[in-house]
Amino acid sequence: MKKLLLLLMWCAPVFAYSQGFQVNLGGQKQIGMGHTGTGLLQDGASVFFNPGAIAMLPQNSVSAGISPLWFKSGFNPTGTNDKYFTKDRVATPIQAYGVWGPKDARWKFGMGIYTPFGGLTDWGTDWVGKYAVQSLNLKAIFFQPTLSYKLTNALSVGAGFVYNHASVDLRRAIPLADASGNPGQAKLEGTGKGYGWNAGIFLKTKTFTAGLDFRSKVDTKVKNGDAIFTVPTSLAASFPQPNTFNAGIPLPSTLSLGLGFYPTNKWTVAFDANFVGWSSYQALAFDYASNTSALADTYSPRNYKNAFALRTGAEYKYTDKLALRFGGGYAATPVKDGYVTPEVPDANRYYLTGGIGYKLAKRLDIDLSFEFEHLFTRTQTNIETQLSGTFHSNVYIPGVALSYHW
Amino acid sequence: MKSIKNYLYISAGLLLLASCKPTVETPALTAGTADFSRYISVGNSLTAGYADGGLYLEGQLNSYPSIIAKQMAQVGGGAFTQPLFTTDQANGSGYVKLTGFTATGSPITAPVTTNLAVRGTATIPGFGTVILYTKYSGEINNYGVPGIKLQQITYAPYGNLNGYYERMLAGNAGTNTTAYIDFVTAKPFTFFTDWLGNNDALGYATSGGAADALTPKDQFAGLYNLSIGKLTAGGAKGAVATIPDVTSVPYFTTVTVGAILAGVQKANPSVAALYINARSSADIATTTYAPRAATAADLVVLTFPTTKIGQPVAVPGVGNVPYGLTPYAPIENQYVLDANEITLTKDYVDDYNKTIKASAASKGLAVFDAFTFLNNLKANGMVIDGVSVNSNFISGGIFSLDGVHLTPRGYAIVANEFIKAINKQYGSSIPKANVSAYNGVKFP
Repeated sequence: MKKLLLLLMWCAPVFAYSQGFQVNLGGQKQIGMGHTGTGLLQDGASVFFNPGAIAMLPQNSVSAGISPLWFKSGFNPTGTNDKYFTKDRVATPIQAYGVWGPKDARWKFGMGIYTPFGGLTDWGTDWVGKYAVQSLNLKAIFFQPTLSYKLTNALSVGAGFVYNHASVDLRRAIPLADASGNPGQAKLEGTGKGYGWNAGIFLKTKTFTAGLDFRSKVDTKVKNGDAIFTVPTSLAASFPQPNTFNAGIPLPSTLSLGLGFYPTNKWTVAFDANFVGWSSYQALAFDYASNTSALADTYSPRNYKNAFALRTGAEYKYTDKLALRFGGGYAATPVKDGYVTPEVPDANRYYLTGGIGYKLAKRLDIDLSFEFEHLFTRTQTNIETQLSGTFHSNVYIPGVALSYHW
Repeated sequence: MKSIKNYLYISAGLLLLASCKPTVETPALTAGTADFSRYISVGNSLTAGYADGGLYLEGQLNSYPSIIAKQMAQVGGGAFTQPLFTTDQANGSGYVKLTGFTATGSPITAPVTTNLAVRGTATIPGFGTVILYTKYSGEINNYGVPGIKLQQITYAPYGNLNGYYERMLAGNAGTNTTAYIDFVTAKPFTFFTDWLGNNDALGYATSGGAADALTPKDQFAGLYNLSIGKLTAGGAKGAVATIPDVTSVPYFTTVTVGAILAGVQKANPSVAALYINARSSADIATTTYAPRAATAADLVVLTFPTTKIGQPVAVPGVGNVPYGLTPYAPIENQYVLDANEITLTKDYVDDYNKTIKASAASKGLAVFDAFTFLNNLKANGMVIDGVSVNSNFISGGIFSLDGVHLTPRGYAIVANEFIKAINKQYGSSIPKANVSAYNGVKFP
């Protein structure tokens, strides 16, 4: 029980970034190998990486993992020597998979629950950019039932339907001070949903494996979220309460190509390339149910551009029980100059990962991973808020998963 | 037990992760070629931190010189002491505060009359009554004196005529003989800001051209050069500011001829025009006034009681006529800065600013061009750290409830403009102040 409590200490139900606000924490083995897996046959995480590979998996399995994530950002406003840091909040992307099919059947069924997008940035209520944003907590949890079919011994395909349950909590200060000098606050909270799909093809030859996967855009709509405004009493009429908002966020598509090579029976070497259709994210708009002359709908251009990521990793089977993994990669930012915001202080980034897999019992594995991401320092003046300064960000992501297979 | 220990280790490791912050490098700090060890600020109400129609502790604490000094302290600036009112007398001279809005959205204000620092009055022969404030004795770095004109800085008895200056001096009203320029330069200093001269034009303008007078251009030039000469005599470096266009402040742009007329026409559509008593010529020598129909080029002051419009006025030989709606009872001169008065004032302000820039250039001083800055602000507004500001009354966030002086946010912006000018001139790197930490008008 104590163990459980200690572990739970770190698990607040929140999620964070890896590129823009995309999280790429699909599975612990794959994280250890630098987020490669589209062209590999590792485990149930293929539901996420490449549904086409599921039918080729040698066993049925269920697995669950978690990757507590610390996104650490610092900000130095231009022309000052002030420093601001994000609060210590931990996001907890999760991964849970099950794949099942009759022995020797050509098909397998899969189910995945994972968190491919999200963001948790909390700059506090009293930092220089508080009128741009105080905190954002965006979560998206994808549920994906999947079917995979082996066409030949070398080629299999698979596809899944995606249901996304999202929630958003965005807070910013309003520059209207009350009699004590405290500024107002806008708090936008809501939940939403979206639909999409994930389909892939997997090829297995004697010398290499390859996969091609496409995860569709998931247009996610938040409807009738709560728009809570705290303003001085004399201005209450301008910010009617209760009020609601609608907003939409198009979570982008991802096209992935992956390759796996097997130089010896102990080594696996993998490469993945992703092309993310971020250009679908053009604006963040909030449509309020009640508008006044002081409270107009907002439309903030984002103008993200499509972006790529290159990833590589390797696994070395030290013994039958122990596997060692490492990897790394580079992800280009989808955020153009002038559009970087403190809620997503994105920049080009590189990352390094490592991992260990250990066979606890015949049917039970534990996988551990650790990832460090470094975002290149980025000096920006946002065109909408004129918030100007330099962002420095690092991400630390340990992770653990258990899987049972038969 | 052992495994619990392991989990504790894991927890400790995760805590360690939680505590590591990215390295944030900040620019190197330097005073450049300037020396900020003793900074003094010279000027009028804007320098003193006057706001909402009064000088009070909160305004003083948010004065632009105090904000500059706080930032200067990071590049070798010394202590900066202001002649603050005490917390018991925090409301100083008294001021106005916003208490709400009418149904049509007009602001309602109320005077603050408690916890004042008024110690009495003095009657100065040949001048009149001067309100006296609790004396301040002690170190002074901020020499801002509300109301002072450049014209008055060499006038020895001035310490008897201005209660804000009198409170800084040792002697009581009636006995003072220290000219302002001598008072501020008495103790050595290494750096100064000088924003004098506003009242030499603003005094005339805010009275609608009815009272006060524009300081003659040659007198302004002579006194300005003299003051800069004295301020730089000891080798001090400094920054000066130009004088804003008086029409860039909400005191003149909030109550408009068009808005008053529209209000009248709602009740009485046959009314075609407002009438004002206007200056006949923009020539300084011609001082005749005559009634004429008002146009959008005439500016009505913020303090004009609009309820006067349409009230019956008895005019001999004509009978009762409605105020402001006929040439027989025009809106009085003190409520309107008419087009000719504006032209005249602008001409003087332009000339003053030429003097200021030339004088600064001759001594290699930094210049904050407040004239250009506030005109740009009026025309375009600006966005700072997510806050949209402009020159509008109350909603603009920069001007306080008197429509002339600034809010803490406005003073912080001014401080940053001074800092920008100083850094540019002297190669220093005084860090900018965080504007978002300063408020605009407070709402009940």
